[in-house]
Amino acid sequence: MINWLLEPLREPIVARSLIELALLGLISGTLGCWIVLAGRAYSAESLAHSMLPGLVGAALLGLPLVLGGAIGLAVGASLIALVGRIKVLGSEVAVSVVITSLVGAGVLLGLAPTTPAGLSGILFGDLLAVGAGDIALAGGFAVIVLAVLFVLHEGLLVAGFDRLNATALGRSPAPLDLALALLLAGATLVAVQALGNLLVVAILVGPAASARLLSARIGPMMLAAVGVAWAASLVGLYASYHAELAAGAAVTCALVVAFLAALLARSLREAVASDSRRRGRGAQSRGLRLRSRRA
Amino acid sequence: MFESFALPFFQRGIVEILLLASVSGLLGVWIVLRGLAFYAHAVGTAAVPGLVLADGLGFSALLGAFGAALVMAAIVALLLRRRSLGSDSATSLVLAGALALGVILASDVFGSQGSVDRLLFGSLLAIGTPELLLAAAAALAAVAATTIFGPRWLAAGFADRRGSSDPLLIGLIALAAVAALAAVGALLATAILVVPAATTRLITNRLPLWQLTTAALAAAEGVVGMTLAYQLNVPPGAAIAVLAGIVFALVAVAGVIHQRRRKLAPLALTMLGLSGFLVVGCASDGGGAGSSPKLTVTATTTQVGDLVREVGGDAVSVNQILTPNSEAHDYEPRPRDIGAVADSKIVFTSGLGLDAWSAKLLKESGSKAEVVDLSSELPVSHPTGAGQRQSDQEQGADDPVAGQGPASGEIDPHWWHDLLNLEAATTVVETALILADPAAKDQISANAEAYRAEIRAVDEEIRACLEKVPAQKRLIVTDHDAVIYFTERYGVTSVGAVFPATSTQGQASAGEVAALEKLIREKQVEAIFPESSLNRALAERIASDTGASSEYTLYGDTLGAASSAEGTVLGAEAANAKAIVAGITGGKQRCLIET
Repeated sequence: MINWLLEPLREPIVARSLIELALLGLISGTLGCWIVLAGRAYSAESLAHSMLPGLVGAALLGLPLVLGGAIGLAVGASLIALVGRIKVLGSEVAVSVVITSLVGAGVLLGLAPTTPAGLSGILFGDLLAVGAGDIALAGGFAVIVLAVLFVLHEGLLVAGFDRLNATALGRSPAPLDLALALLLAGATLVAVQALGNLLVVAILVGPAASARLLSARIGPMMLAAVGVAWAASLVGLYASYHAELAAGAAVTCALVVAFLAALLARSLREAVASDSRRRGRGAQSRGLRLRSRRA
Repeated sequence: MFESFALPFFQRGIVEILLLASVSGLLGVWIVLRGLAFYAHAVGTAAVPGLVLADGLGFSALLGAFGAALVMAAIVALLLRRRSLGSDSATSLVLAGALALGVILASDVFGSQGSVDRLLFGSLLAIGTPELLLAAAAALAAVAATTIFGPRWLAAGFADRRGSSDPLLIGLIALAAVAALAAVGALLATAILVVPAATTRLITNRLPLWQLTTAALAAAEGVVGMTLAYQLNVPPGAAIAVLAGIVFALVAVAGVIHQRRRKLAPLALTMLGLSGFLVVGCASDGGGAGSSPKLTVTATTTQVGDLVREVGGDAVSVNQILTPNSEAHDYEPRPRDIGAVADSKIVFTSGLGLDAWSAKLLKESGSKAEVVDLSSELPVSHPTGAGQRQSDQEQGADDPVAGQGPASGEIDPHWWHDLLNLEAATTVVETALILADPAAKDQISANAEAYRAEIRAVDEEIRACLEKVPAQKRLIVTDHDAVIYFTERYGVTSVGAVFPATSTQGQASAGEVAALEKLIREKQVEAIFPESSLNRALAERIASDTGASSEYTLYGDTLGAASSAEGTVLGAEAANAKAIVAGITGGKQRCLIET
């Protein structure tokens, strides 16, 4: 049993993946909670596609691909924040409009005969291919995310929990939106290179969405999210090692299962709570009846 | 500029886009109103596991996509009953789960061989009867539901923006998303379903009018986009997406100007009209394909194209569908490809399932071309995963890498890596071309004879080159096991492959990679060879862990760029031989091969 647990950790490929996932778990536990609370999961899922025109442009101009991808992400995130300010549309429609246009533009640009092969695949990494450089980058970015979120905490708290009313009252939280969008773009750039697009979405949204079901207060929610991220990473990597399942997909599945478990726990707790409430109400009304009879 | 409307494949595309425009008008407004844009995108994207299942079990891709979308719709509808759950988080997790399932199915269950069957899935240029029927069904369902439930949705609609929607609406959007997916692909389906309704929302919010203008706008964008795509020879889906984005931007800017200064409204309208003219003007200067008196043929892949050009020479005009920089999995055909297929007398295919998509291309283009399958008379054939099975026998049954090969029983489709096969295929091409153009017989025969001589010469040189390394030292690890024919012919042993499946959906598992690293150390494999067209990160990581080299690249699935030495089959095989020798000997041995 001990060997079953320790054997994967002795493999450098598993150990590195685990360290990378632990660092990204920190990002997902903190930034992810704001993404989920602000309803930005669509951005988290689709923003990576806005790299495409940037990548093609960089390849055609002979610039480094990472630079092109970063520019694409920054343009995508800013446009989404801009279009999202049109109140009648809302942020989801804004993502849809911006990403669709950028993907179309990327495909058209990519038709140039000098575009190299496999461009979209070059930046999209694989969990098992994580190296020391990726780990350093993720560590550095985790520090930035934690620092920025610490500074912005109060503002995000006001805008985050009462977003609908803040918008309705005409107090548009535009600068905070932009900050969140740019942090998300940064997280996408760092994580996509290490994990590939699929796992990025799952790790940015999954732990926070699970934690939200378990706690309504932001502090415990962030702690729970980091815990879920770490636990699911460990379980997914063991499954990938022992059952020989595709690595990124196995961790993704573990994150989805964690979410379903949180959902089940929440439903059970609510069922118990409403049951006892009903019983409580019953007792109360009986008490009232008793009192009225006495009167 | 209207000659394109006479082409049958173009007409079917127009009918499809008009049907989808009516769906867009009726349902798009609800997608925008209820904040279901993410769901509309996700339910189409989540079709991947359905497509992988369809590919693996051999049923229709459309059916697979539809089934997967229905399952996704049911789960999302169930989750949305919990109002405290953000609909976007729930949607993204269901989507991630579906995609992860697709990856596991592709890499661990079926060992899918490339996603090439999806090549034509999602192109307005390859619309067949099933796609039209699906779009018509979506349109009919949308009309019926809007008539019956429209008033009820309206009553609930404006009050509630946070999902929690009618399961019927969720199901209808799933149907519409699959219909759009089959027309423009997963990433661009929102160009039809969401963007037009978002654009018209900026102008109106009165419901019947909003729906009508949305349908009209979607239809106009679709027809203009198709026409532009034909004129400029670009994929129609991308053209429609960019056009829809431009129109949205113009209307939004016009709206802002209108708000700030009412006087500027006419200016904005003029801008809109002007840009419309600009677009049409750009469209009309694109030229049609010139016709030549030469025999016109089509080749599906880069390798087949090179072979046919060698044999045909000046006597034949070759239209090649895949280009070196187009990956088969995300490639969308362009209008002139379809037109050229329709004009071709012969279509040469690589066969063995590698270019199965060409059958549909042929059908939808209305071509009467004769199909010549170059894999029909191969002197040498290997089952898929043959290289790995050989290492199993040496390793014994308990080898952990043994189970990772793709399902056996099928013949590996990369036959050209054995030059005997290439020589036989040369004769097949020669016979077919002479039959189609007897007047050019002398020229074609001379070309074919010269090419066969060159093949034999290169074959000898490659053999001589590899014999510089003792046979027991010729151990390699490849990316995808796509070069079995090469390794078998020249006595190279492929110890294992980094990825379990050649599909781009494939991912390695931690267990397999750890076992492969152990095997590389045990057998003292000197070099791992990434493939030219794929991400090399994992191969490089394994190399640095085990001390092997990964600096030399193999050409497995594709050739090099058209102008380079590796742009021909013989050039690519020579480059493979040089890479293997240099990699195994750590650069100490090198050969010169003239091609």
